[in-house]
Amino acid sequence: MCLKIIKTKRMKIILKTSLLVFAAAIFFAACTPVEHKELGAPRNIMESISGTWKLTKAIQVDEDASKKGFPFKELDITTLFPYTNFLLTLNLTNGGPGTFTTTPGSSPRIIKLASGNWTVDNIEYPKVITLTSGAANEKVTLGGYPVGASNALKLKVERKDAGTGKLLISYSYEFAKQ
Amino acid sequence: MKKLLYFILLVVTGITVKAQNPSFSPATFTAEDEVTLTIDVTGTGMAGAVEAYIWIFSNPDIGGGADGVTNGNWTNSSNAAKMTAAGTNKWSFKFIGTTMFGQSPAQLKSFGFLVKKKDGSSQSPDYKPYFFDPLIFTPTMLRVFPARVGSDDVVTVNFDKTYGVTINEQRMTPVSATVTVFDETGAQVGSPLTINARSTGTSIWSASFIPSVSFTPGAGRRLNKFRYKFNGTVLDPGGVTTTVSSSETEVVFTTMQ
Repeated sequence: MCLKIIKTKRMKIILKTSLLVFAAAIFFAACTPVEHKELGAPRNIMESISGTWKLTKAIQVDEDASKKGFPFKELDITTLFPYTNFLLTLNLTNGGPGTFTTTPGSSPRIIKLASGNWTVDNIEYPKVITLTSGAANEKVTLGGYPVGASNALKLKVERKDAGTGKLLISYSYEFAKQ
Repeated sequence: MKKLLYFILLVVTGITVKAQNPSFSPATFTAEDEVTLTIDVTGTGMAGAVEAYIWIFSNPDIGGGADGVTNGNWTNSSNAAKMTAAGTNKWSFKFIGTTMFGQSPAQLKSFGFLVKKKDGSSQSPDYKPYFFDPLIFTPTMLRVFPARVGSDDVVTVNFDKTYGVTINEQRMTPVSATVTVFDETGAQVGSPLTINARSTGTSIWSASFIPSVSFTPGAGRRLNKFRYKFNGTVLDPGGVTTTVSSSETEVVFTTMQ
């Protein structure tokens, strides 16, 4: 009787071990080597920025209130005024920054200059776009490149106290390509 | 050659960089910080004076102001108001807002000053307003967003009836806001603007405008400040709808770069 119980226990252990080995074999057999795709050409930020863009979203931020943790930090102003009529066109010249035009329609002029030339601080990884028309210029900061999954152009305009240089307000604008 | 280039750079920088007048150290400060102001009085009634006294006041043009404790009398400034020479026609003065005006940080929004002779026989123009950096958020019935705005910004005026003072302010249902803009001479610019109010909270109504779009100052003038109030309706004891308005408050535009 005792010998029979020992034999049954041994059989159970052998069965469990066999099942584990079988499962492992199936698991590893299912693994197949994955071929890495080619990385392709480096992304061309200038090309992705160029084109005609239509404003889709405008957010106003009280930077001082944000810094201090006060309530009422930001406001979505997209629908308060007809911002979505604003068009920005950035043209390339020989693959680099060229001319620009702004067409506000009935939108507030988020960029005052109507046309001129645009330049960037770094051709490969631009952060600041400078728009120039004669002696006047305006700077906008890029909030995100329209590459990969994101196809929105994000620009930020900062407003500083002329007396102290302190950042008081910023406007974040999102554009969709036309 | 290198030295010549440095010299040219120095001269060009000196010509193109316009010094702020007055200047403050530190550049931003709260009502509890010690700040040193330096003012150049060249071209004012105080040019060439051998000694100068400050006449300082809080919250200019917005109400709730106080005179500096060092002012003394106009014809006999106190010695505590004496400014320190900081160069030809330049004077400096060190103070702490809360101590100078005997007001709390919540009460102190801004200040202004002028420079005068001890006996008041000569003086500079007013220099104002200069804002204290707020330390705490103080909820109020009338509030502007963002807290400091330029004339080209989207300005949203807000009415929170939770903080209404009068019975009408506590009971009214706002319908619109009326905005009046003034230039730097104090002259009204155009006609008052009445804009629809929208509900933005259980007890908050808001109205937005862009000053430079809605108001055009006269030639050579600039938009300097605006006053606003909210208009709405209440039911009188007889059940009749009556139009009422809130009190009015004033906001000075910040010059932006």
